[in-house]
This record gives sequence, C-alpha cells and structure tokens, in this order.
Amino acid sequence: MKVLFKIGSGLLRCIRQDLYRKHPYAHERVGFITAKAAALAGGGLCVTAYGYETVADDHYMDRPEVGAFVGAAGLRAALQHAYRAKCSMFHVHLHEHRGRPWFGEYDLSENAKFVPDFFNVAPATPHGAVILSHDAAAGLCWRAGSQEPQVISEVVEGGAPLRIFRGIKV
Amino acid sequence: MSGRFDRQSFLGADSEELLAGLRVAIVGYGGGGSHFGQQLAHIGVGEILVFDDDIVEETNLNRLVGGVSADVAAITPKVTVADRVISGVNPAARVRQFGCKWSEAAEELAGAHVVLGAVDSFAERLNLERFCRRFLLPYIDIGMDVIQRSEGYEIVGQVILSSPEHQCLRCMGLINDAVLEKEERARQYGDAGSKPQVIWPNGVLASTAVGLLIQLITPWQPLPAAAVHLEYNGNTSTLQPAPRLAYMLEHGHGCSHYPRDEVGDALFGAPLF
Repeated sequence: MKVLFKIGSGLLRCIRQDLYRKHPYAHERVGFITAKAAALAGGGLCVTAYGYETVADDHYMDRPEVGAFVGAAGLRAALQHAYRAKCSMFHVHLHEHRGRPWFGEYDLSENAKFVPDFFNVAPATPHGAVILSHDAAAGLCWRAGSQEPQVISEVVEGGAPLRIFRGIKV
Repeated sequence: MSGRFDRQSFLGADSEELLAGLRVAIVGYGGGGSHFGQQLAHIGVGEILVFDDDIVEETNLNRLVGGVSADVAAITPKVTVADRVISGVNPAARVRQFGCKWSEAAEELAGAHVVLGAVDSFAERLNLERFCRRFLLPYIDIGMDVIQRSEGYEIVGQVILSSPEHQCLRCMGLINDAVLEKEERARQYGDAGSKPQVIWPNGVLASTAVGLLIQLITPWQPLPAAAVHLEYNGNTSTLQPAPRLAYMLEHGHGCSHYPRDEVGDALFGAPLF
C-alpha cells in the first residue's frame, strides 16, 4: 500500500537549517516533524507535514559513541506535543551527503523502540521517522495497529521545483 | 532518452524519467482540460487522472479536443474521450478515468503530484484550491471569459500557479467575496446562462499552464516560480504578469488565507458515529 509523505520546501529548508546547527556536544541534531494524515484510495496513506519541533540543546544526552541521543525529557516534550495537537510525529535527522539517504542500523533499532510510544498519546494517526540528505529524503511510517513500519513510497517536496523522492526497499 | 522524446532533451537528462513517474490530475475535461490531456500525453507524463462527470454534447464540439460527432450520439463521457486521446498518443501513459465530481473521488485526487484545473466557476476553483492546499498539491488554474462591451467583445482569461506556502487565488485577487456572491446570485436566479467559449484562448491558456507544469517538474531555466498569475487579453493576443502578484512578490507579502496546520483530513482517525 502506498504511503506518501508531503512536505513544503519552505518547511524542509527550515528543518535542514536547524539540523545543520552545531550542538555543544552531540555530533548531530534531531527534531520532530508534525503532520496530519489522510486516507488514499486502495488503503494508501497520505501524511502531510505542517510543522517542526526542535529538540532543546539540554535535551541531548552526552553519548559520544552515537550521533545524537535524546534523553527522556526531550522525548517527553515530543510526546506532549503529539498529545496536545493529536498529530503525527516523525523523527527527523540528516546525513551529510548528497543523494538518497537511508537509516543506519542504530537508527533503525532506536526508531523501533521509541516511535511506537507515540501511539500511546496519539493512537489514531501514523508516526514515523524521516532521514534527510543535503538534497533528498526518505522515511519509515508506522500505522496504527501495525507492528512493522512501512517504507514511505514517496517523499514529495512541494515547491518550485517539485521534487519526488521514491522509497527504497529494505 | 528514447526517440519519442529526442526533441525535448533540453528539458534535462532525466526529464523523460521524471515525467514518466509523474501523476497529474486534470479536473474538468472540457475546452481547457482537453488541451491538457493531449499535451500531457505528448510530453510523456506517466499517469494522468481525469475528473469530469459530463458527457459530450453537440455544443462541446467547437472546442473539445478529441471530441467527435459520433460521441454526441453515443453519449460518450468526456473521460472516455480523454482516454482515447491520451492512450492514442502515448500508449505507455496510464489514464485513470473518474466520471464523477472530483470531490467524490478525493482519495484519488490527494495522491496526485500536481492538479491542473479547468473548472467553470469561482466557487469550484476555490474549493479545488482549498483541497490542494490541504495536500500540498501545486494547483495550476486556467479560465477564460468573453465579455460584451458597448464597443464589442473582449476575451479575457488567466493562468495561475498556486503552490503550497505561497500566494493563493484570493491573494492574487482572482477570487473575493464579491465575486463569489455575484456568481451565487446568478446561479440562484438562473442567470448563469451558457458562457461563451472558443478553442483558441483555451489552447493558449492550457499550453501556458503545461509550460508552467514542466518548469515545475524539470526546470529548463533557473529559478522556477512558485506563484504565477498571468492575465490573458484575447483581443491583443497577449499574456501579462498580473501587477498585484508582482507587487506581493516584490514586497515579500505571503499568503494569510491558509493556516499552516490545516492539512490532511481533519477527521482522520476520528471515531465514526
């Protein structure tokens, strides 16, 4: 079943700018994209992004062995936002290269641990994780009631030009 | 690049692939929409969704590209004409016919990449744009009118690109409450009548719109615009940038009509009563 993730180029530009910022001790930054969902024909899903929640500097744990580790306070803030807004939350981080990005093994195992927690606070909407490169994007989407994530079929960057990043099979 | 598209190779080395992977929705397959179908087929768009609940009538034949006399007797749906024209030009294109109002197949429309609209009324334009904004769909609108003046007829029209995060039809001044009220009054009192329509302005407007679409997908010149409003004067055969949008762009005035978080389906996941 098709899963589309749509995001405006202006919002995506702001997210990249935030993620490019140096952190005092973490190797990289992460954030959360807020989105709302709609059904597509044939059981598909359209996730439309509308905002971005940055992770505060002091919500990162000092773990030099990984790129970024968000502590309990950071995750709690994201969960609270999802609860209040009843929105979808997509964790986002950036790999510094050009072309199609994909999650590392550590990313995949961590995503599988914390993304399902969002269903405790916003159970009806999908949640997931997005990975950006300098010029492309990809992601995984968990649907309500489903244990396994699905590769996002297309990330569509709405703007001029319109960019379509097709999902890869993993 | 295959032989069929050799002459459009300036659109970029990957343009054939980009266009083949594109899903474009045409809403309204009449005088304007039928030009869209024909041109999207020629340019190599891979998937074309056509929305129109009408059949071919005698009065359509002065401008419906691909419509033939036999279609009138056969009560042929316009979406069938679309399929015949598009598949005839490019058998590789996937044509999906929706012989209904677009709002009755909204879950299909939401999955498109771009929407081309050639609809009859301002209210319908507004509804369609509102839907497109919810799903971050670029919406390219065309429309024409023939106005009777004391000194003769004046043909006017517009081509508009309304992109998410940018100026909308209201910002551009095409739609306002007065226009909508006037249209609604005419509808209520049966004054709407049948609007004059001819093929060549539709062709000019639709061709310009397809040019904007291609520029959006595979820009052959730098800095494609995200918001465009071109005004057509059929008497002088000219298209000019509308001054109001030019002013807004120059002074950095964005859109205030569509709140950022009004996206997706507001009722998604809500319990059904």
